[in-house]
Amino acid sequence: MTAPGKTARIGTGPAPFAARLGPAARRMLLSYLILLLVYGCAVAVNPEFLGWGTMRLQLVQATFIGLIAIGETFAILIGQIDLSVPWTITLSAILSTNLAAVYGHQWIAFAIVIAVGVAVGLLNTLGVFVLRVHSLIWTLSVNLLLQGIALVYTNAVAPTTHIPGAARALALGNVGFMPAAFLVWIVCGATSILALRAMPFGRSIYAIGNSPAAALLSGVPIGRVTALIFVISATCAAFVGLLLSGYSSQAYLGMGNDYLLPPIAAVVIGGTRLSGGEGGYAGSIAGALTVVLLQAILVTLNISEGARQLVFGAILLALALLFLKRRS
Amino acid sequence: MKPPETARPAAPRRRGRIEKHLGPVSCAIGLAVVIGLYALRQPLILSPFGLASLANVSVPLALAAIGQTIVLLGAGLDLSIGAEITLVNCFAATTMQGSPLGIGGIVVLSLLIGLGLGAVNGLIIAYGRVEPLIATFCTSFIYGGAALIILPRPGGTIPAGFANALTGNWGILPFSLVLLAAAVLLAWIPVFRSRLGRFIVAVGDDAESARVSGLPVRRVEMTSYVLAGLFAAIAALFLAAETTSGDPTIGSIYTLNSLAAAVLGGVALTGGRGTAIGPILGSFLLSIILNALGVFNVSAFWQDCIEGLILMVVLGLGGLRLLRGGNWLTVLRQ
Repeated sequence: MTAPGKTARIGTGPAPFAARLGPAARRMLLSYLILLLVYGCAVAVNPEFLGWGTMRLQLVQATFIGLIAIGETFAILIGQIDLSVPWTITLSAILSTNLAAVYGHQWIAFAIVIAVGVAVGLLNTLGVFVLRVHSLIWTLSVNLLLQGIALVYTNAVAPTTHIPGAARALALGNVGFMPAAFLVWIVCGATSILALRAMPFGRSIYAIGNSPAAALLSGVPIGRVTALIFVISATCAAFVGLLLSGYSSQAYLGMGNDYLLPPIAAVVIGGTRLSGGEGGYAGSIAGALTVVLLQAILVTLNISEGARQLVFGAILLALALLFLKRRS
Repeated sequence: MKPPETARPAAPRRRGRIEKHLGPVSCAIGLAVVIGLYALRQPLILSPFGLASLANVSVPLALAAIGQTIVLLGAGLDLSIGAEITLVNCFAATTMQGSPLGIGGIVVLSLLIGLGLGAVNGLIIAYGRVEPLIATFCTSFIYGGAALIILPRPGGTIPAGFANALTGNWGILPFSLVLLAAAVLLAWIPVFRSRLGRFIVAVGDDAESARVSGLPVRRVEMTSYVLAGLFAAIAALFLAAETTSGDPTIGSIYTLNSLAAAVLGGVALTGGRGTAIGPILGSFLLSIILNALGVFNVSAFWQDCIEGLILMVVLGLGGLRLLRGGNWLTVLRQ
């Protein structure tokens, strides 16, 4: 009903170039325009955003959100969502740093990250795929369970302050002038884009997102793909947990609480449809940077916590109203 | 997406009819079992005061779950219900004591704010064409932020008269249950006995066919969010009376729990299917289980673990129901 009006409303108008692009590509392009706009605002508010020192910090922050957004993009592309991220982050950070300290070997931490990722991912798959519970509510319940496990564990064993050196190096170190974490993001991001564009895995994802029944009939192993996606999502979150503990030199309860909504906002700003089947990770990269810059602008403005939340919500809402109309 | 009604074989349809009552009935059985176990451990719970306290911990969730159910019936989703509760709660707690409008004026104003917050959600979703999940997620930030601005930390006061009027009891009948019944009688029943209710269900079942049949889809969608805002405001006023103060984090648990209670009570997250009694029973079951953990000497550290496990088991049992018959293809189409 609004489809013809929608194309006309996009800023550049029906120029030949924009018209040749598919709707998904147009939405991705739009997400980079939004990023430019927000960056412009950031520079206008505080010219320091032009300098590398400030931007370097933003890139590291964006890495945390962007890495989580990898799993979230996959999950949203198949029409699901993963809301168990916050306490996957916290539990993985606490468990991996503690056990690495106990066994005295820092690589244990990475093994724990993968173990937590696989366990949480399979638990999510159990509910979402095997038991057919809506992922929104199942993964929130899993999040609650993980919160409980983290509370019980930290009640028995105090979190360590001894953070594995490798985690600190990844989160705080530099390779040349680039933050090491950002390089990790580049590698993971490029792999994700490649997987979505050029591998059978990616084609399966879009097939499931468009119609699970049709995907099943065409022989897509929907169960295995769903499980893989939830394991990837949980592993990304678990890895970010370890990075965050390296970044702040501690693992503490509630450290993941700020990472539930920004990654989803990044995916949505990046032009991936919440109903699944359309979008990709390239847009989510712009989305992650946009979200981080928005947060940084609000911090720069030095307003109260309440006003900051209000403005963040209002800006997201304005972006959604302007650019994220659903199909009718 | 869904196959037309006539294409569906007869057997699943009969199963669908059974399923409509499965949620409420299993909640009622669960509720009886939980209260029975609770009473064995702590017989005082069957005294008028005990019953009133059980009702008082459950009623706010029941109200939030009814609001969530109305939106879910229309195939929407309200992630801002917790923030709506928080904002109205903070407003009432900061203005009610010594207000020139009197307590009644503030109550009316609070309900109007609830309607307004719901209307904002409805406008964005129905007329702004934004997905319910992202729209209510954004407004939950806005409402939560506004609540923090009004009341940065727990505080404010609620007049004792107002608090007693909502949380007291009359023999074995707690006032909170009267409030819940009044809310259902005055808001739910008129809506779902009228055309509006059937329109909401029709839109939730299949928005496209509803539009083709000439239903005012946008107005119907909008109305469902306005009603959810109203129920959130009633829940907020009740919470204010229960705690006799305001708290800028009080509502956050109600977003997930209202969804869970609705699903427990047999409401479909995909829209078009559900009752009022199911979510109410689901809310009581959920609230009383959580309340009972303390009585059974469960350490507070285990509470989240157990709450999560209960939610997962119950949701999983609901899912197993779907898997009972048919192959993957019929399962995927549900």
